Amino acid sequence: MSTPELQQDLHAIRISKVSKRYGDFPVLKEINAEVTRGEVVVICGPSGSGKSTLIRTINRLEEINSGSISFDGRDIHAPMKTRELNRMRSRIGFVFQSFNLFPHLSVVDNVAMSPIRVKGVAPDVAHKKALLLLDRVGLADKANAYPGQLSGGQQQRVAIARALAMEPPVMLFDEPTSALDPEMVGEVLAVMKSLAAEGMTMLCVTHEMGFARDVADRIWFLDAGQILEIATPEEFFKHPRHPRAQRFLADLRH
Amino acid sequence: MISDILVIIHDYWLLLLIGQYPNGPLGGLANTLILSALSIALAFPISIVLALARLSKWPILRWPVTVLVYVTRGVPLLMLILWSYFLVPLLTGADVPSFITMLTTLVVYQGAFLSEVVRAGIVALGNGQMDAGRALGHSYLGTMRYIILPQALYNMIPSILSTFVSTIKDTTLGYVINVPDLTFAASQVNNQLLTQPFQVFLILALVYYAICWSLTYVAHRLERRITRRRAGLGVRLAAVIAPAKIVSEQS
Repeated sequence: MSTPELQQDLHAIRISKVSKRYGDFPVLKEINAEVTRGEVVVICGPSGSGKSTLIRTINRLEEINSGSISFDGRDIHAPMKTRELNRMRSRIGFVFQSFNLFPHLSVVDNVAMSPIRVKGVAPDVAHKKALLLLDRVGLADKANAYPGQLSGGQQQRVAIARALAMEPPVMLFDEPTSALDPEMVGEVLAVMKSLAAEGMTMLCVTHEMGFARDVADRIWFLDAGQILEIATPEEFFKHPRHPRAQRFLADLRH
Repeated sequence: MISDILVIIHDYWLLLLIGQYPNGPLGGLANTLILSALSIALAFPISIVLALARLSKWPILRWPVTVLVYVTRGVPLLMLILWSYFLVPLLTGADVPSFITMLTTLVVYQGAFLSEVVRAGIVALGNGQMDAGRALGHSYLGTMRYIILPQALYNMIPSILSTFVSTIKDTTLGYVINVPDLTFAASQVNNQLLTQPFQVFLILALVYYAICWSLTYVAHRLERRITRRRAGLGVRLAAVIAPAKIVSEQS
């Protein structure tokens, strides 16, 4: 534990002094945090607090102004060849609030395309793998459907399968259930829970406090671009330390 | 009058079809079709490159192309044709055949127009698709090729096809620089007959109408087939239903 190499090995993601501004407006202020391997972290906080921005900086969909985010032992925000960046990104699964499935491709092609095009997996192998993943998210029978024919919950499960197809060691979720009708939230959370149970390292921005309570190992509470509190769900929900977190939780209960 | 038209077609069909060929250059309808097909075939890929350049984050790509597109779109096609026709030989000293002058001008002009259509198609998709592609590890161009362009071009099929149709119509302007196309052949016929301009140019109009309408018709059918396929219904069903619907839409 004490040697630096081992410590680095334990951390899937390490965020150091990350700051970001839009013009003069600071969105993220000197964020420091890390995600350990196999850990499930839920990021919560009021809207506009920078949650989505923070999670999007981790695979560099958003640039930062200063700081570093190390993944695979490398700073993903360091200057690097785009090919290198693409390779790093392919090892970070990302699930969007608005699913962003590819509407021109069938469900199975949505899942199989990136392994084929990015990793050079043989098409028949990729398709077999895609069918297995679709089975896992409970949608094997929709393999030949198009995204437009699926419900929101089904689309989001396909999006999870699509991200998993790249075999990423880490999965990021950016409000994966916020765009769903209430009755579809459960099916998506169930898939996420099963992923967590299998030991996937996960970082989720979500307003689903039930999920946070049941599944998260730790909760990061974000407000106005700062992490005000990092705590286990038990601590966070029973005895939030920061007054802002206390107020946030009180507002949720009303 | 119909008999006049039939007589004209009977007497001059070969001239209208291929011009003076083989005693002179290929002309008539054949040349119109070749000019149109070449213009479209060259303008389409160029338009994609121009659109990508206009969306580029590098000013060195973006600015020259933006200027080109604005200038081209802001000037009547006839001006461009006359410029190319008079200026290019003056500047280069080369004797450029009018067909090549016309082809080049059409490619630049329609390429600029089409690039705006393609760009609009790309921009209309929003950022989500690009984000999704990049997040999966695709390169920018890979995302464009496999994710963005297939959708953008598909969504823009009606606009793209109507640009193709207008390209065919624009080939008639080659008449002013003596490109031996269908319009040129028809006016030759008219010069020989002298007394039947209405009949001659009615034939001309009908031929252009038949070509352009067919292309529009094919475009609609294609569009419906893909839409049906995405909606998960049978392709055959779409092919049966589509023609009836198109007729009703156009009327």
